[in-house]
Amino acid sequence: MSYQRRAVNSKARRKVVFPKDWPTMVQIEPLEGQQPRADETVDDVSHPNPYQMAPGRVPVMHLNLPFILDDLKTETSQKQLSTARNIMRSVDQATLPSLDKATHIEFLLNPLDEGLSGGFVGLDASRPWLLYWCINALSALGEDVGVYNERVISSLKPLQHPGGGFGGGNGQAPHVAAAYASILTLTVTSYYASRGLPENERLGVYANSFAWIDREKLLQWLRKIKLPNGGFKVNEGGEEDVRAGYCALVVLALLGYNEEDLRGDLSLGELPLLEGVAGYFKSCQTWEGGIGAKPHAEAHGGYAFCVLAALCLLGDPQEALSENLDFNRLVSWLSARQYAPEGGFSGRTNKLVDGCYSTWVGGCWSLVEAAANAIESSKKSMKVNVGDLWSRKALIRYILTCCQGPYGGLRDKPGIRPDYYHSNYVLLGLSAAQHYYYYDDSSVQSPVLTKSPFRHGYRWKSSKNVPRSSGNDGTGGGWLEGLVEDESDRVGVQHPLFNIPLGAESYLQSWWEWFNDISDVDAIPGEK
Amino acid sequence: MASYDSDDEVDYATDPAWTDITPLPQDDGENPLAQIAYPPEYALAMSYLRGVMAVNDHSARVLDLTADIIGMNAAHYTVWGYRFKTLMALETSNGFNDGKTDWSWRKELDWVQSIAKQYEKNYQIWHHRQLIIDHLNDPTGERDRTNEMFASDSKNYHVWTYRQWLVKRFNLFDAEELEAMDLLLDDDVRNNSAWNHRYFITLGRLGAEDPAEGVIDREIKFAKEAISKAPQNPSPWNYLKAVLRKGNINLASLKDFCERFAPVHPEGEISSSHALDILSEIYDEAGDFVRAEQALVLLAAKYDPVRKNYWRYRKRLLGSDENVLIASEKTPTVHATA
Repeated sequence: MSYQRRAVNSKARRKVVFPKDWPTMVQIEPLEGQQPRADETVDDVSHPNPYQMAPGRVPVMHLNLPFILDDLKTETSQKQLSTARNIMRSVDQATLPSLDKATHIEFLLNPLDEGLSGGFVGLDASRPWLLYWCINALSALGEDVGVYNERVISSLKPLQHPGGGFGGGNGQAPHVAAAYASILTLTVTSYYASRGLPENERLGVYANSFAWIDREKLLQWLRKIKLPNGGFKVNEGGEEDVRAGYCALVVLALLGYNEEDLRGDLSLGELPLLEGVAGYFKSCQTWEGGIGAKPHAEAHGGYAFCVLAALCLLGDPQEALSENLDFNRLVSWLSARQYAPEGGFSGRTNKLVDGCYSTWVGGCWSLVEAAANAIESSKKSMKVNVGDLWSRKALIRYILTCCQGPYGGLRDKPGIRPDYYHSNYVLLGLSAAQHYYYYDDSSVQSPVLTKSPFRHGYRWKSSKNVPRSSGNDGTGGGWLEGLVEDESDRVGVQHPLFNIPLGAESYLQSWWEWFNDISDVDAIPGEK
Repeated sequence: MASYDSDDEVDYATDPAWTDITPLPQDDGENPLAQIAYPPEYALAMSYLRGVMAVNDHSARVLDLTADIIGMNAAHYTVWGYRFKTLMALETSNGFNDGKTDWSWRKELDWVQSIAKQYEKNYQIWHHRQLIIDHLNDPTGERDRTNEMFASDSKNYHVWTYRQWLVKRFNLFDAEELEAMDLLLDDDVRNNSAWNHRYFITLGRLGAEDPAEGVIDREIKFAKEAISKAPQNPSPWNYLKAVLRKGNINLASLKDFCERFAPVHPEGEISSSHALDILSEIYDEAGDFVRAEQALVLLAAKYDPVRKNYWRYRKRLLGSDENVLIASEKTPTVHATA
């Protein structure tokens, strides 16, 4: 029987035993209430690096509690105060610890190479997530994850549902988050496996990785979870939220569906798949300016990222964010997510910081700044850069001093056990802080991509040089210094919408153009 | 045999009740990555579930089986979905209380509640409850169930999502709902989830409609009183701005109130950074850029330094039409007097 597993070997015994309330499909709630492990204290993250550059000063805001503290004590203020005090002890390091890549890599390789213990049974409906979190995090740490491509394919094939889409495990119902994580994982490992290969071999890698996906059935299945209000459900009979819409759009964008595919066949009663989608996202902006899981739900960083990234797949950042959303109130709410002394982000008003919001909130800034730059530039009729709207350095400090588990892996905050989910999203957030990601509207695209409804998602670029703000007359500027004190701390560049290595999306796109071209029976060979 | 109270572990392989089901293995593919070494009881139960699903069996024993699996993996959405279908099938065939079983919707809901308390961060549990209550078309006692959850975590996102659905579905925009928020906010005035729900039931649900007479004034008063208790609490400030926006009232009407907490000219004791934030905007709208900038500089330098870059961006926007964080939906009826 297939449930007979190999004996747990000695290395596997080091695996952490996970709590019963292990997060579900997409866990964007902070893992509050978990008890710190006995052997893990708040001070356990100090790894002084003798090779680091001369120590800087710790900014005063990290050394003190906020200037204003109300006298009234409530559960919220007490939790906040004790958390801030705990974190202050960790962030107060004149020399930032280095990113301990070797132990994080070991932590992330373990589940791939050794499998997972029975304690992970709560993730049995999230198998593609496990692959994505570990493999993407490893790629961010510079590991060549191309070696896993074949095993990723053979692991994911049994998850494709006969009716279309992907389940969280073999025999499970299709779920949009499972499809999302599956496609992302394949995109990452195929990219690594094909880099540097001649074109014919590269196409071979992609054929192997993607040609087995039933695109037509996947599209039909997505139609079943699309709602008349413009939203999506996560699965048939499942809950509706913006996470489902974001996952669906990413799947559609990465698998190269074109306008015609999405339009559907009206004679069959099919409605255009993108109809009402932007309007639905728009209706999720709340009275606070942030964005909730669905209309009227509380503003939350995880859902904010889903909506901002999804809208930026459908339009350039300026139109996506300022025409659909109340931009200024959005920026105000996002900005209020960063706390001092902690330096990290919270997901909601009056909640605690958590390392995973380094992506969910931190990842929003590239999109928001691209929109702000475009708005200001059009106002001044010249290229203006508003600079950073957040503190990259404070987030980097929080991540390096607080989010590194002493035995590898990244985490919510000191005292909380690292896990694969946090490892990926803390590292993606670190990438957002270390790099300048910008929307390049002058980028040249293929004729096929130019017609794609998702073309805007393929115009993102990155730079190691982060520009400072220019004056209202376009002058000044220069570069922000000291973000990465030692190049060995740098993590890989990530696509700000897809959350995979930047460049992987273009490789995949080239494959679809080739594949769709040869699959088009009506096309005259050689004609484009 | 079947009972919600039963602690008996069923061995599906030997139990005579399950002999007609052929357990189906799981295909994990060749050399799979991150395979989970399932506990034997989980693997066995799942193989029987696949067997049950293959023959589309929706008999009462499926409730035992799915409860067993959910007890080991509460995030198994496929199992939850199959369980709900089974419940519906049992109701249709009048398969509840067939002498051998003692299942009922009420018992199902009680069981769901007990699972919910064990697994607080879970999407499926509350969605399952929503499907049931929607089907039963009866919200009796449901607000109490969510209140019980708030006792241990008053900000549980899944529970709040369910509560909103409940209120919308059964039109519970009543005094009881408002009192419940009063209680939660009395307990912790910083509970932003409760503020969010309050906004939803008082103003948010209206969409483009105008609120009833007196609601705007009542909510302004409520927010101001909350601010007075703890002026550095962001929730009521955000709430106050949102109420003004909905009521189409100019922000400048808050000038005196804000200056009580953030005297900028002459500079006195600042007890709320949020008041400074709003004041910078009020001064900006009134054309008093010097004071507007002064407020932003205080925020950047002293009261909210981690957001220095944001405050600098706001300074850049001073004097521009776009710098209206509270954009009124209609032409403002009250104008700045400053």
